Amino acid sequence: MSNAMATSPEKHLTARGFCITSACWMAVATFMGLLGAIELVAPDLTENLGWIVFGRVRPIHVNLVLFGFVTPGLLSAAYYFVPKLLRTRLYSEKLGLVTVITWNLALVAGVATLAAGLSQGREYAELIWPIDMAIVIAFGLIFFNLIMTVKQRNEPLLYVSVWYVLAAALLTGVTFALGNVVWQPDSGALVGIPDAILLWFYGHNIFGLLLTPLSAAVAYYVIPRACRAPLYSHTLSLLGFWSLIVIYTHVGTHHLLQVPVPTWLKVVAIVDSIAMVIPVMAFLINIWYTARGKLGEVHADVGAKFVFTGTIMYFFVSIQGSMMALPQVQRVTHFNNWVVAHAHIGVLGFAGMIALGGLYYVLPRMTGKPLYSRFLADLQYWLVLIGISGFAIVLTIVGLIQGNAWLNGETVYRVLPEIHIYYITRASLGVMIFCGALIGLFNIAKTLLAPSGENA
Amino acid sequence: MYYPYFITYMGIGLAISLAVFYWALNNGQFKDQQRARFLPLADETAPIRIRASRLGRYEIYALFVLAVAGLALSAGVLIFALTRG
Repeated sequence: MSNAMATSPEKHLTARGFCITSACWMAVATFMGLLGAIELVAPDLTENLGWIVFGRVRPIHVNLVLFGFVTPGLLSAAYYFVPKLLRTRLYSEKLGLVTVITWNLALVAGVATLAAGLSQGREYAELIWPIDMAIVIAFGLIFFNLIMTVKQRNEPLLYVSVWYVLAAALLTGVTFALGNVVWQPDSGALVGIPDAILLWFYGHNIFGLLLTPLSAAVAYYVIPRACRAPLYSHTLSLLGFWSLIVIYTHVGTHHLLQVPVPTWLKVVAIVDSIAMVIPVMAFLINIWYTARGKLGEVHADVGAKFVFTGTIMYFFVSIQGSMMALPQVQRVTHFNNWVVAHAHIGVLGFAGMIALGGLYYVLPRMTGKPLYSRFLADLQYWLVLIGISGFAIVLTIVGLIQGNAWLNGETVYRVLPEIHIYYITRASLGVMIFCGALIGLFNIAKTLLAPSGENA
Repeated sequence: MYYPYFITYMGIGLAISLAVFYWALNNGQFKDQQRARFLPLADETAPIRIRASRLGRYEIYALFVLAVAGLALSAGVLIFALTRG
């Protein structure tokens, strides 16, 4: 690092780039989710509009939430705090900006191709080969930039957040390539049962090796700072990190308990799903004990408020996840809307809330300006919180109705009228979350674009 | 034939994990854990406080109306569905 760099003010261009990326794509992603929810209520709404039929809207929604909203939001915070924790600067802001541009080009191409019907037809791995490769390259760039930042660090100790961010970038880059079977560009798939095993290994690891470590990294940074208190135990946090790496990689096959995959693989998946209580509780005990007696400080900072709420959601979704891996429970809860509720609590309630919290925490610090409107951030918090809580309740009820009906031999078409009202409720809750995304986009854009000295 | 891919991936993953763990162990990453607890607290700077503008307030009112409209729409849809559904 040159003297000029050492003395010039930091602009955090990469963090800003991922910040606006997350805010913009959250608006698009939640709109797609809302559109899909409305189509479940009124299936003829988009008749003859092939590019927005449910089968195309749904993968666009899922991919945009995962790679458009949540991951860039978490990466934005990470690009800010990793150099801070290492007492150095980001290795290359130019490389970071190239990563942001590559990432956004991949997302635009992903939406266009999925809307055009170009899909590889595997859940969470629908994107076609060139876009898969762009995402793999983007993860490679992220890892390279961050590992070089680690190399030039002035702080010898790696704080747990740095461990989590590096692991997420490296493991997801490799797992994404493997899960999308990039050595088979035409199909992006293996054949038969092995493909199902590989797909769910990858599918669950998008949550377990990307969203979870990045979210944990953000929480481990934001909560001690917001509370102005040291982390409860760094040793416990490292135990949580290594146990996550060892345990989480094996749980994917719990999606295939009704499928003729080898029994030993099912047993491994179930046992490790239950064992997930170790990294989960190591993380939660650490965060909650750090914040013990300091909830006033957490509430005073809107970013920390989002993050802390995300940790509560993590508790619920993790307990639920371990329980759902049990075959007797899964007889009722699998292949219906219970799983959709679970996924929403995990991706929006846990990782999404922490991504928003990370954004709101680092935004004033990386711009040197206060947040445009604390009120709007609070409003977004309540809209998203009420929306996700409503989703959890409504979709869990629907899942139980569907699960019990099918377990008792009821036909699908006779169950649909029973769940119609819940689908309407879900769509109306989606309006709230979409409004929250628009408000967040406005608030973040105004904060980023406002010249110094302007404020609301 | 898929086993070679799986085994290669598992082998690479295990090797990288062990190598990183070994590096961390020898590099003192598991020592001085008390100091590590305080690392996020370094370099805290307070954000700048600036006065509010009149236009900004109107924009916030407009967005508040938008949010209330969203809530009202949600409630309206629910009431309609419950009474007519």
